[in-house]
Amino acid sequence: MGTLGLALPWEARILCRQRERETRVEPTEHLAGGQKMASSDLIREDAQLAAACLAGDMSGYERLYAQHGARMKNVARNLLSSTTDAEDAVQETFLKVQRGIASFRGQSSFVTWTYRILINTCHDARRSRMRKKEDTGQESPDSPRPEQRAPAAHPSLRMALERALAALTRHQRDVFLLYEVEGFRHSEIAGMLEITETASKNTLFQAKKNLRGMLEPPRSSAAEAR
Amino acid sequence: MNVNCQDRDRIFENGTAEQWAALAGHAQQCRACAEETSAWNLLSVAAQEMRDYADDPALWQRIEQRLGEETERKRQRAERWGWLSSWTNVSLGWRTAAAGVLLAALTFATGWILFHGTGEIPADNRARLLKSGALAEVEKTEAAYTQAIDKLALESKVQLDNPANPLLASYREKLLVLDSAISNLREQARLNPSNAHIRRQLLAMYREKQNTLEEVLEEKR
Repeated sequence: MGTLGLALPWEARILCRQRERETRVEPTEHLAGGQKMASSDLIREDAQLAAACLAGDMSGYERLYAQHGARMKNVARNLLSSTTDAEDAVQETFLKVQRGIASFRGQSSFVTWTYRILINTCHDARRSRMRKKEDTGQESPDSPRPEQRAPAAHPSLRMALERALAALTRHQRDVFLLYEVEGFRHSEIAGMLEITETASKNTLFQAKKNLRGMLEPPRSSAAEAR
Repeated sequence: MNVNCQDRDRIFENGTAEQWAALAGHAQQCRACAEETSAWNLLSVAAQEMRDYADDPALWQRIEQRLGEETERKRQRAERWGWLSSWTNVSLGWRTAAAGVLLAALTFATGWILFHGTGEIPADNRARLLKSGALAEVEKTEAAYTQAIDKLALESKVQLDNPANPLLASYREKLLVLDSAISNLREQARLNPSNAHIRRQLLAMYREKQNTLEEVLEEKR
């Protein structure tokens, strides 16, 4: 697999950290002031959120937004490569949650269910954007558009990763973004994408393998660097 | 735990913390595994660059407004169909009975229509209304009658104004009655031009007046 125009001298650019396994960031953890919540607290909080939203209590939706809004927008932005489209997708997700809360049966957590709606909404938006662009004969929607984002420590690395992600399959991209960027567990991703945990792990492995191939510096230049 | 280069991909895919620690130990002696592990972990570090959790209160305001609008729409819909909710307070027995009565009434009505109705407009009723083509034809005939009557009236005017005998006097009386009836029918026809019955009566009156005037002229000869 070829590179995407940016060969990264990995070790020279970033101080590599050994990723600590099994220390996943909880969905609510870093957004709730970094305090680690116990699993039972998370379940209770999730049930309370669902109950408040089911009752039509606006404060329930406000809490949902306070806890997950920023992350939802980030997920949508990475899936749609557009802040405006991401905001529309988040808004649409909240409306879909409001319309569909009566049909929520608690087979997964409320938050997982919400993210599933968000991801499906993003895919729908992406498809409709693709159709629109096909009709007007514009450029492919998969090509990322440069957009003003929060300053990053390694903007070139992010750009290279964004371009490489666009070349992955939809499933691989979804799993990589949810696991590596958003910090969800495989069990949560399985619920969101309606796949098994094993499939989530395997898809992540394939995604990273492909990314590794795309972002790897050409062997010859790497050898010369040494 | 001992791991080697062949275990690397398996650990990358689904390794436990212990296996990762063993791989790190192995990587200290194996340059290829060190590079691969480092690059693999670097992808996770790079992914953090794609995180942007900046607060966006404006988006919440937008969402809140849309949620409010949706709630209001739901409330209005519920109000519109609210009367149906009282139906749920009625006991199941009464609901079943009412449904039975409704079903029986529907069955009876359907049966009655099937046995008694042909589904067509009765011929009499159809004849009571004139279509535009027939109406034009009738108006043309009426105009022809009027023209002929005016001509005859002019010729018989002298006899009728000064009737020479009782017969002519009675013809004069008859024509006055016919004129009154014609005037009355014309007014009705003006208000209801497609009414075939009125038009038929009017034509009969014209015919009668024409015949009467012809008889007056016959009497003159």
